[in-house]
Amino acid sequence: MISVENISKYFNRQTILHDISFSLEKGEILGLLGPNGAGKTTLMRIINHIISADKGHVTYDGKLLKEKHLINIGYLPEERGLYQSMSVEKQIIYLGKLRGLSSTEAKTQMEYWLKRFGIQAWKKKRIEELSKGMAQKVQFICTVLHDPEVLILDEPFSGFDPINIELIRKELLNFKKQGKSIIISTHNMNNVEEICDRAILINEGHKVLEGTVHELRHQFKEGIYKISFVGNMIAFANALWAGYEIIDKEIHGDDAFTIYLKMRQGNKINDLLNTVIDHISITGIEEVLPSMENVFVKSINAQNEIVSE
Amino acid sequence: MILGPLAVLGLIYLFLSTTTSTNKEWKILLMDKKEIFDSKLTSNPPKNLQFDFINTFVDYDEFAYQEKYQSYDISVWINEKIVSNKNVIISYRERPPENIQRKIRYLVERRMEEIMVDQFTDLSVSKFREIKQALNFSLKDVYDPKNEKSTTASWVGFSFGGLIILFVFMFGMTILRSVSREKSNRIVEVLLSSVNPRQLLTGKVLGVGFSALVQFTAWVIIIGTGLYLFRLTLFPDMFSPGFVADEVSKTDFSQELSNQSPFVELIYKQIQYLNMLVFFALFFIGGYLFYGSFFAMIGASMGSESDGQQFIIPLTLLLFVSVLSGYYVVYYPSTTLSSWLGFIPFTSPMVMMVNLSNGFEDGSTWQLFLSLIVLFISAIFMLMIAGRIYKNGILRFNHRLKLRMLIKWTKK
Repeated sequence: MISVENISKYFNRQTILHDISFSLEKGEILGLLGPNGAGKTTLMRIINHIISADKGHVTYDGKLLKEKHLINIGYLPEERGLYQSMSVEKQIIYLGKLRGLSSTEAKTQMEYWLKRFGIQAWKKKRIEELSKGMAQKVQFICTVLHDPEVLILDEPFSGFDPINIELIRKELLNFKKQGKSIIISTHNMNNVEEICDRAILINEGHKVLEGTVHELRHQFKEGIYKISFVGNMIAFANALWAGYEIIDKEIHGDDAFTIYLKMRQGNKINDLLNTVIDHISITGIEEVLPSMENVFVKSINAQNEIVSE
Repeated sequence: MILGPLAVLGLIYLFLSTTTSTNKEWKILLMDKKEIFDSKLTSNPPKNLQFDFINTFVDYDEFAYQEKYQSYDISVWINEKIVSNKNVIISYRERPPENIQRKIRYLVERRMEEIMVDQFTDLSVSKFREIKQALNFSLKDVYDPKNEKSTTASWVGFSFGGLIILFVFMFGMTILRSVSREKSNRIVEVLLSSVNPRQLLTGKVLGVGFSALVQFTAWVIIIGTGLYLFRLTLFPDMFSPGFVADEVSKTDFSQELSNQSPFVELIYKQIQYLNMLVFFALFFIGGYLFYGSFFAMIGASMGSESDGQQFIIPLTLLLFVSVLSGYYVVYYPSTTLSSWLGFIPFTSPMVMMVNLSNGFEDGSTWQLFLSLIVLFISAIFMLMIAGRIYKNGILRFNHRLKLRMLIKWTKK
């Protein structure tokens, strides 16, 4: 759908983006991750033609992305902005018209979205009369009003309460079902795990990681397993001997435990089961994969160490 | 920080130097019928003032057109009853700068003091100076001694020019506020994802410009209708043949009207409204686009709303200088500086309205069109520069705006 090819950007002799490439497929949600100042917003602005790249280019459906393609993109910038003294209705229709809708189409779409979000009563209110969360909803409606094929959302969940985060999350998954492609920049790693198909990690203008959420979590796994059981803790510990290292435990009652352990000496999960099965009653066992937050922190730290060396 | 005061200082210097300094030599004819001055002055005049004395009175027409007086720039008429009425009339072909006027006054005053002390008192000159009554100097254009043409008509042009500057300032500030508001509330990023910066800037300038033209049209309609109604109601007999004859027998109210008649005549007869309005509109559009691009530049490049103030001050001063230049041209319409001011885009909308109200001599109307062409080319050039600055500056926030930064942005 969208392909970013070898994009570089410099400001005041400083490299903001260095040779970034990735693609966004149809019906995919792509997480664009990175610490503050990594270059995510600059990259989003380049894709939206707000600023130009110093090197590289962006394609849309295989063709060089031009102004005429922008009508197929919905952009929600990180710094939200609406005309404070304009009514919700006028605002939505104005921005819809800027994105190529006729007045009637903009009005019809507006009614649909206001109803969908249950906020028809706000139609005549001025933006300055709304709370931050309310204004965020209006901004989201302005972004999706023209039914774009691609959504580029910079921190779409910021400023929302948990209920509205869930609302927006559902809408994004719904867009995905409709075959729309979405790029999300976020610091909320739970959202990335829950809704993103793939993620790209950018640090100091460089692409550090890219892959599906599953691939990235596996890439950073440390061979830790979580085993829950009912039985005697001492008997369990004795059975393990030196082939396993207990790194944490949770006690659920007199004889119910969850243990986190690392395999040693090349042991596998089957070896573990054979070792403990006669001593305890196992209620659950699974491999512990790092959260996306851990993946994020580890890879950033690793890259920073390389740079400092 | 220091840009504002330096700009002010520069402008003051420019204004003072243009109104006072001159290398021209002035030849002055001192008409002293009773030979009160005895063909001499108390102190020697400066090198650029040459005085000749005659004991006859030369009226304005003779001085203006007779061959033998053509070499004189100024005449000073010492009234025969100067001792009692204190009247001195200075008439000129080209209005002398303030410092020349001051020198002439000084020389005449000093000589008069000397004469008064010599003939009428036992006081010393310095003592007499403390109690004396100052002379009454009046300044006349020898081609328009009744001051009918130049000032009133020029002031009409000045008013039109002033309106242009007022409108440019009002709507320039509207552009600036609108751009900086869109920038500070961040909606500009949403807009820029739909339209490019140049389109956004052009739309803004044209949108505000159309709104200005609508307001201007409303002014024209309201003032035009008002003037028409005044003519029907307040001045119905103004142009009837019997008006002047009846004038004496009329009431006090009519007497008042007759006092206003030159102005009324100017409003209803002398001003060529169609001409003035057409060129007013053209110079307004040119001036608005030219100055508007500066306002847009400042709005787009300021880091915060208060940050741009340092650049608004010099820009406001430029508009002020434009008004001053109009004032200058009203009094000194035929100097070289006045001619140049008519072509400089910063001042031409104001100056050309003054020149237009004075009327152009045959064969010199090209100046009007050249001035318009220069103004529009400059406006287009400035809009292009403003477009670059807008593009580079509109998404920069919370920085301190520096001139160096602006110059850099014009290059990308």
